[in-house]
Amino acid sequence: MLSNIYLKTLRDSRKSVLFYSIGSISLGLYVTLFYPTIRDATGFAEFLDQLPEVMQSLIGDAETYTTAEGFLNAELFSFMGPLVIGIFAIIAGMTAIAGEEESHTLDQLMANPISRTNLLAQKIGALLTNLMFLSIAMWVGLTGGSILAGFDLSISGTTQAIISQYALGAVLGLLALSVGASTGKKGLAGGVAAGVGLVGFLLDTFLSLVDLLNPARFISVFYYFNSNDVILHGINVVHFLTLVAIAVTAIAISLWRFERRDLAN
Amino acid sequence: MWFDWSFAPVTTAICTTGLTKYYGAHRGVLDVNLEIKQGDVFGLLGPNGAGKTTCIRMFLDFIRPTSGTISVLGMDSRADSVEIRKHIGYLPGDFITYEKLTSGELLEYFVNLRGDTLTKAKVLADRFDLDLSRKIGELSRGNRQKIGLVQAFMSNPELLILDEPTTGLDPLLQQEFHKLVLEEAKAGKTLFVSSHVLSEVEVICDRVGIIREGALITVEEVAALRERALTHVAIEFENPVSPSDFETVEGVTEVVVTEHKMSCNVTGSIDSLIKAVAKHTVHKIESAHPGLEEVFLAFYNDDDTEKEDYYAE
Repeated sequence: MLSNIYLKTLRDSRKSVLFYSIGSISLGLYVTLFYPTIRDATGFAEFLDQLPEVMQSLIGDAETYTTAEGFLNAELFSFMGPLVIGIFAIIAGMTAIAGEEESHTLDQLMANPISRTNLLAQKIGALLTNLMFLSIAMWVGLTGGSILAGFDLSISGTTQAIISQYALGAVLGLLALSVGASTGKKGLAGGVAAGVGLVGFLLDTFLSLVDLLNPARFISVFYYFNSNDVILHGINVVHFLTLVAIAVTAIAISLWRFERRDLAN
Repeated sequence: MWFDWSFAPVTTAICTTGLTKYYGAHRGVLDVNLEIKQGDVFGLLGPNGAGKTTCIRMFLDFIRPTSGTISVLGMDSRADSVEIRKHIGYLPGDFITYEKLTSGELLEYFVNLRGDTLTKAKVLADRFDLDLSRKIGELSRGNRQKIGLVQAFMSNPELLILDEPTTGLDPLLQQEFHKLVLEEAKAGKTLFVSSHVLSEVEVICDRVGIIREGALITVEEVAALRERALTHVAIEFENPVSPSDFETVEGVTEVVVTEHKMSCNVTGSIDSLIKAVAKHTVHKIESAHPGLEEVFLAFYNDDDTEKEDYYAE
């Protein structure tokens, strides 16, 4: 695990990845095992229909809420899932370069014959790999839970929702990594990425109900992640590619800036 | 034979021209022109904040010059930075690295990044009595510095860049370190050592550059520098002495006599003073190593305005 920067980074994060993965599996199990209770509750769908629009925007589509996919869409992919993946991604992204710089370990690392681009590529690789571990864990929790609870769950829909959520995590993580690599400031990196995530979430949920702010949904990363309810309707290619484009742009900016700036001592 | 096979071109290890670095509006270094040949043991001497570390971090391409050029081992410091770092061992004064790794793991990691083997690292670790199984975060500063030392020398680099290398080392270790440096120098390695202590560079370097407020003031042979330096001497005699016994001795200034004690400053060699002192019975003799301040004073003793500047800082 010490043969290169990529493996060393995975090694450094192995404990946190383990805990986040346990959390992701548990979350998957929790929502799937809880689902039959809602499905079997009489009059729940009618109750949802009567809720004010604001509440519905939080819960999701009332008509599909009592289906397995609709329930997971509302209970997992609208908030808790992206929250777990997003927090992990942002922390991993902000510490990737800026964390090493602020803890003064970067100088000694870079005294070895490694180009900055190579360092960045390996750090990005480690971030994307760790996010994959978390996503697989959540997927296992969901499919396993549906088997345990004895209901049919669309594997294709679930997989696509997990992939879309992975893309959102990658965008937030790479934004943090990019700001960190461009400025060397860990706090700023985390703040910018968390801000993009939080504002994106608000614009796509509560604020989209304000007529004036509704068009602003299009600048929200959450809009591209799940506005078309991926687990129910599959990935929207344009939305998915938009997330990919944001991620690629973040990488390009970090390469360009990191290659040119002075490293902090 | 018409061709002399013993001919080996002396190439430059480090060459800077007009090297200038500003951090925003703050001065780093100004117009530094420096040439260090391969095989040189060069000391960069200056007070804290003079620009020593700035120079070193530019050699390693951690930071980029505002203007001017640097060539290291004949290569461009920016374009060939990775290739250059293959041949450099670097040790900063405060070696900070991954605290969660053990010393052994860190060395293994760095050896892997260099595509090297642990052979020499193990020899050096033994020599400096370094416990490879302990976590770096649990080590004292001196022990951490030992790891830094081992990793700097382990890949048999052509050029060693040592930034205030013995700051955290105890005297015994410093001695062992100086021995190692001299061995490497004998083996033909180039060494670039920065320090704010003259005594340190004096032991290991042939040539010294003095840097002050970002500007390289002079580059001199160590021997020449020593001649300009002041040594403070205090002597206790058996019987009372008179100032006139010493005031006329070559190089001696500021003689202060109180009954059987005498103190003075000596510029350059203290040989004449010793011969003058030998006429009396001596109880005790103390001599303080010349500090950098005195070296600077020796440098500026013709120029009072500069001297005042220095003390006004």
